[in-house]
Amino acid sequence: MELKSDIQKTIENLESKTEGSVPIEEVKELIRGVKDIFEGRFESEDVHLYGELGELARFINEARKDLREFQPHLLTDQEIPDASDQLDAIVNQTEKATGSIMDSCEQLEGLNQRVIDRLISHNPPLDEDVLAGVDDALTESQNHITNIFESCNFQDLTGQRIMKIVKTLREVERQVLRMVVVFGLQNKSVDDDMRKKLEDEAELLEGPQLPGNSLEQDDIDDILNKLL
Amino acid sequence: MAVDKRMRILVVDDFQTMRRIIINLLRQLGFTNVVEAQDGQLALEKVKDDKIDLVISDWNMPNMTGLEFLKVLRSSEEYKDLPFIMVTAEGKKENVIAAVQAGVNNYIVKPFNAATLKEKLSKVIGDF
Repeated sequence: MELKSDIQKTIENLESKTEGSVPIEEVKELIRGVKDIFEGRFESEDVHLYGELGELARFINEARKDLREFQPHLLTDQEIPDASDQLDAIVNQTEKATGSIMDSCEQLEGLNQRVIDRLISHNPPLDEDVLAGVDDALTESQNHITNIFESCNFQDLTGQRIMKIVKTLREVERQVLRMVVVFGLQNKSVDDDMRKKLEDEAELLEGPQLPGNSLEQDDIDDILNKLL
Repeated sequence: MAVDKRMRILVVDDFQTMRRIIINLLRQLGFTNVVEAQDGQLALEKVKDDKIDLVISDWNMPNMTGLEFLKVLRSSEEYKDLPFIMVTAEGKKENVIAAVQAGVNNYIVKPFNAATLKEKLSKVIGDF
């Protein structure tokens, strides 16, 4: 419609300028312009755009079909929550087990102290060499207990990493729910409480970095030496 | 001047396991006067209620992070010089710089051992 009115306007301009007598070259120019419009701009841009839109519509239809077959509500109602629960259980169980290991370490420390107290208060007093030998053994025992405590660091780090995965799973769940709503596959809205919870979680930092993505203590010490 | 091992140390971490590890390692080093808190908000109350000589705090905690807690302390005339060691899994350079800019006295990246804790404590409170 717009093309036709443009052509009409051009013809009217020519008519008024030439009072009805139009040179043949100007007519040729006009025809070339019309030809360009139809064969050039229209075909290469507009037709191409219509084609792209058609492809997009077909893609959306296919995606809707795929999503229906995929049954997204199973993922959001069951599978992701189940996976999150399993990961939460891992965190809780490792925390409990780590607590139990540390309880035992503290018991061992208490026993070591009782041995020391008994030997020191022994009557008659024990030989110095015997006491020194026992002291060496107990010091070594204490070092092992300290090593166990240090190794319990793993629970904090793995716990934080798992919580990061749980957060990602919840985000996937939220995005799938959004797709369900957008494609009208299920009349279910995104849970506002879950959204709020996710936003709150996002405020926390990212958690521990994977090895290689994080600085080692020596690198941090270098920075501190320069800055402090 | 010799370090007084009776000094009161506040350990802040939302993971109970980590609090226990730090408290136990402190005990190995001779520091037994230790109080604990689960996040920056609760830690702030402890600082106000108890006479705290040193803070060892995690970074990533709910309610109030370690960095926010540190900033609150540094903005207060009373606690602006309170020794503060950050113990965290946040090993990125920008985190370390942010902590230093906020006024941290030292920074330990997890996982760590008793020797690292001893070395960092010595740098902040002096040799013991």
